Amino acid sequence: MTQRSRFDGWLEVATRGIAQRTSRRSFLAKLGMVVTGVTALPLLPVRRGALAGVAEASDAKGVDDPNACEYWKYCAIDGFLCACCGGTSSSCPPGTTPSPITWIGTCQNPGDGRDYIVSYNDCCGKTSCGNCFCNRNERERPLYRLSLNNDANWCMANDNPNYHCSVSAILGVAEK
Amino acid sequence: MSVRRSSLFLTVDLLWQGAELIADDCSLIIPTPSYFVAKTQPDYPVAPSYDTLGTRLGATDLHGCPLHQGLGRRSGDRMRILQSLLVGIAMLGMAGSVAAQTKPPLPAEQVSVNRLPAQGPHWVYIFDEALNNEIDARVVLFDADSHRTLGQIDVGYWANIALSPDGKTTAAVTTYWSRGSRGIRTDVIEFTDNATLSVSGEVVLQPKRLQGPITPFNASFSPDQALFYVANLTPASSITPVDLRQKTLLPEIDTDGCVLAMATGLRQVSSLCESGRLLSVTLNEAGHETARALSEPFFDVDKDPVFVQGVQHGSQLWFVSFLGDIYGVNFATGAAHFDAVWPLVSPALRGQWRPGGTQTIAVQPYTQRLYVAMHKGGEGTHKIGGSEVWAFDLKTHRRVGRFLISPQLGAVGALQVSQDADPRLYVATDRSNFLVLDPATGKILHVEPKIAQSPWYLFNP
Repeated sequence: MTQRSRFDGWLEVATRGIAQRTSRRSFLAKLGMVVTGVTALPLLPVRRGALAGVAEASDAKGVDDPNACEYWKYCAIDGFLCACCGGTSSSCPPGTTPSPITWIGTCQNPGDGRDYIVSYNDCCGKTSCGNCFCNRNERERPLYRLSLNNDANWCMANDNPNYHCSVSAILGVAEK
Repeated sequence: MSVRRSSLFLTVDLLWQGAELIADDCSLIIPTPSYFVAKTQPDYPVAPSYDTLGTRLGATDLHGCPLHQGLGRRSGDRMRILQSLLVGIAMLGMAGSVAAQTKPPLPAEQVSVNRLPAQGPHWVYIFDEALNNEIDARVVLFDADSHRTLGQIDVGYWANIALSPDGKTTAAVTTYWSRGSRGIRTDVIEFTDNATLSVSGEVVLQPKRLQGPITPFNASFSPDQALFYVANLTPASSITPVDLRQKTLLPEIDTDGCVLAMATGLRQVSSLCESGRLLSVTLNEAGHETARALSEPFFDVDKDPVFVQGVQHGSQLWFVSFLGDIYGVNFATGAAHFDAVWPLVSPALRGQWRPGGTQTIAVQPYTQRLYVAMHKGGEGTHKIGGSEVWAFDLKTHRRVGRFLISPQLGAVGALQVSQDADPRLYVATDRSNFLVLDPATGKILHVEPKIAQSPWYLFNP
C-alpha cells in the first residue's frame, strides 16, 4: 500500500503533537479522548484493509468465516481469535474482560461493498487462549506509533492485564 | 485343553489366527483385545482342539469363518517356522541371561544437580514467549558448540530480557500473579546468575512496565551496571531507573510519548519517538534526570519506519527500516550522530524484498558483517520471517553472502551472531528449529528441533 489515509494522518498529527508537547499524564488523558472519540465519530474516510488489498472478493476463502484469519473484519488483527475461544468475532469469551483501550482499522465487507471502521479489542483476565492465532499487519506500525501497533498488549490498562484473545467490533460505516 | 495358557503362546496364536483370516479373505478381522479375551474364556463360541500350539481342527472364529481350511493348507509350514522362532528366541534369551550374569552389576546412582561448565563463546540465550501459555515464558540457554541445552530461566508473563554487559547476569522484567493468572499482581526485575541459573536477586516495580514486542531495549543495564532502566507503557510511556547498588527505584523519567529504554551513555538513556527522533535523558550519579535532548528526525515514520528491534554495540546502534535501509546512530560524544543511510536492497528490487520477523538484523564486530533476514513480500509482510539471510560488509555496504534457508526448516524469525573472533550465526525459525550456521558460508552446522514454543529473540552474552 502506498497511499496513507486521512484518518491515519489525523491520528499521526494528534499523537505526534501530544508526544512532543505534553506531559505523560496529559498524554494519557488525550489518548483516552482519542479512543473514546473514535467511537463517537465513526464516519471517517478510511479503508485500511481494502487499500492493502485484503478481502476484496466475497468468494475469497474464509472471508465470511469468523473462525478464519481471512475473515473480512480481521484485516489488522494480531492474536487469538475470540470466536475460537468461546466468544464471537465481536464478543469476549465468558469470564474475560474487554480492554478499554485499543487500536482501530478499516476493513471492507465484500458482502455489501461498504467500508467499516473496526475496533480491535483484546479480551483480558485469563491466560492466552491458544486457538486460531491470526496475525495480519496491513498498515501496522512499530511500537513508537502506538495507535497503529498491534504488538502491544492492549490489556495493559486492565485490572488483570493477562491477554486471552482478540475481537473486532464494527464501530460504523466509513463515509466515502 | 486349558484356557489358561501362557501369554506368549496366546500372543503367537492370536497373530497366527489373524493372519489366517485375512489370507483366506473370509473377512478382514484384525485380532483385538476383545477377541483375545474371548479366546481365553471357557465359553468360547467354537470348540477348538488344541493338542499342540496351532494344531486346531474344525475351528471357526467368532464370525463363523472356517479356520481349519487355511490351517489345513499351510499349518505344517507355519508350525515349523513358529517352532523354530520360539526355540531361537528362547535360546537367545538364555544366552543373554548367562552373559548378563557374568558382567558386574551397574552401580547404584545418586540424583544430583548438574553444574554449568564455564561460559563458552557460543552460548546463546533463546527467549521463548510461550505464546499459547504466556504466563510461562522462559529463556533457554543453548551451547552451539556441544549442541546441548544447558538449562532454563523462568521469566513469567510477557517478559522483557536484558543481559548484563559482563555476561554474568540475566535480568527479566516480568509480572506474576499470586494465583497463577489472577490475584495480586507483582511486577518485578528478577536477576539470574548465569553461572548457576539460579535467581540471585530481585527488585519489585510499580505495575506499569512495558508489555510489547520483545526488543533489546525494553530494559537495559547502564554500561557500568550501576543502573538499570525499565521501559514503562500504561499506555503513557516512561522509564523507571533502578539503582542496582541499593536495589532501589529512582525517580521516574517522563518520555513524552517516546518508547523503549536504550542505555546510550554511562548515565544516559534514550527513547525512540513517534516523530522519528531520539529522546536522550542524562542522569547524575544519583540517577536523577539532569538534562534531556531531542534529536532531529532520522527516519521517515510515514514512508519507511524502522523496526524497534535494533542492534547495539557500545555507543553504536543500527536500525533497519521496513524497506531495508540501514540507519546507524552513534552516541560516542553523548549526543546522537547519524551515519549515512545505506540500502540493503537494490533500487530495482526495493519494495519487493524486505526484512521481516521478530529479530531482523545482527552485527558481528570482528568480521564487520551485518546479517539480515529477508523475504519477498510487500506492505504488511514485515512480520513474516526471512526465506534467506543476507550478509553485508559494514564498511563497503556490499552484499557478501546470501544464504537460503529451506522452507522445511521454516522462515527465519529471529537472527543473531556470536560476538567472538570465530563466530557462529544463529537462526530460530517459525517452525521452532534452531540453526547454527557458519556465518562466512551459510553452511548449516547443526539443527536443533523444537528448541522452544515461540523462539522470538536470541540474546548473546
